[in-house]
Amino acid sequence: MPVVQPRSVLSGMLVKEAMRRQVVQLPAGASIAKGINHLLKFKVNALLIMDEGQQPAGVVSKTDLIGAFYAGLPTDTPLEDVMTGPPLICYPDDELESALDRMRSRGVHRLYVTGTEAALVGTLSYTDVVALLYRYCRACPKSISRRASSEEPGDEGRRLTVKEVMTSSVVSFPENAALAQVIEGLTAHRFGAVLICSGQGESRGVISKTDLIRAYHHGVSLEAEAGTIMTAPVVAWDQSAFLWEALRQMFLKDVQRLFVHAGDPVRITGVLSLSDAARVRSGSCRACIPSRFMVPA
Amino acid sequence: MRARDIMDIRFHTLRPGQSITDAVKAFHTASTEEQKKIFGMMVIDEQDRLVGMLSMYDILLFVRPKHAGLWGEIEDLPLEGAFDELLERVKPVRVADIMTTDVVTIGPDTHVLVIADLMIKRHIRRLPVVDGTEVVGIVYISDLFYHLLKKLF
Repeated sequence: MPVVQPRSVLSGMLVKEAMRRQVVQLPAGASIAKGINHLLKFKVNALLIMDEGQQPAGVVSKTDLIGAFYAGLPTDTPLEDVMTGPPLICYPDDELESALDRMRSRGVHRLYVTGTEAALVGTLSYTDVVALLYRYCRACPKSISRRASSEEPGDEGRRLTVKEVMTSSVVSFPENAALAQVIEGLTAHRFGAVLICSGQGESRGVISKTDLIRAYHHGVSLEAEAGTIMTAPVVAWDQSAFLWEALRQMFLKDVQRLFVHAGDPVRITGVLSLSDAARVRSGSCRACIPSRFMVPA
Repeated sequence: MRARDIMDIRFHTLRPGQSITDAVKAFHTASTEEQKKIFGMMVIDEQDRLVGMLSMYDILLFVRPKHAGLWGEIEDLPLEGAFDELLERVKPVRVADIMTTDVVTIGPDTHVLVIADLMIKRHIRRLPVVDGTEVVGIVYISDLFYHLLKKLF
């Protein structure tokens, strides 16, 4: 029986082409406060925790720290008490596709890239994979951003829109919800952010995992109201926008998700995250396999 | 020659709970008052203990988008607008959130050549001088430079 190998724009690419040569790490005995400082300072979603022998012992993600916040742990608690482990690794010469499949099947958002003699050489995250896709699709001769000069008509249908890629369920809370409730909602749905809405269902703000760990660092109570720490206003995108335009916004503004509306900017209909874009394996259109061969290496 | 001979005993400090917006203003005020460019400040808690350092570099690192490399490839975009939105997100951030917490310090009796060696090896341009738990001064690379090389001019 013939085996069909689905191909995507990432086929044949290697981990080393998308990885980031920066590993933010801390010793197991460092405090939660220091861990939050490092996550915020270096704008990463997780820390690698090293044991006394300078070997990777585990990972502390924003999610783990939100769990610690919810459990009421003081911020001088050592990171080893909240870490999960061991860290999942891949190699620089692994196929990017297989690394992404592994990330999805294991439910993690990053892999640690290990070189020869087990030395860590970098991290592979969804964000960096999508950045690579975006650059790749921009360099493509069929790129929509070059349409003005190419004047090739009739291929709008091939362009992915935000609506096709976004996740259409969004969890929202009122402004007076306690942070503890917000954390419960985030955890139950495994979302990176929740929407804060008025009684009439109009968006007022967003609370992301970053907002929550910052609140934890600032000593904010779990009983505090969502409205006091939310990021406002919500800048939402029309769902008919092209994926490449939305991705560009996300990279320029350094955000990991965009909220989406269907005409009325305060009625949110979905959310587009960088991991959604990683899932479709494209930074702009669906017909990327032929164009792949037209891009000079 | 020791740290106490070349350290600056007039220094500006920040509190960990201050906002980054206030810190940016404090950099500007300090540079004006000292009539020299201040690139980094010590962060001192309520008990006057040194808890970190915040430099212009730390703040720039924070406001620079992670994929800033892409900006150079995009010509057709009103970049200012996107950056304004990024700056908005700095507002809830405090000094303690992004300061450097592993601070290298020296004592008042540290020899100037040891200081020079530390600055070179650790890529540091300013070193707090700590006596016991109290911060007594700061040695800037420029003061060290002119002190060590003054016979040349």
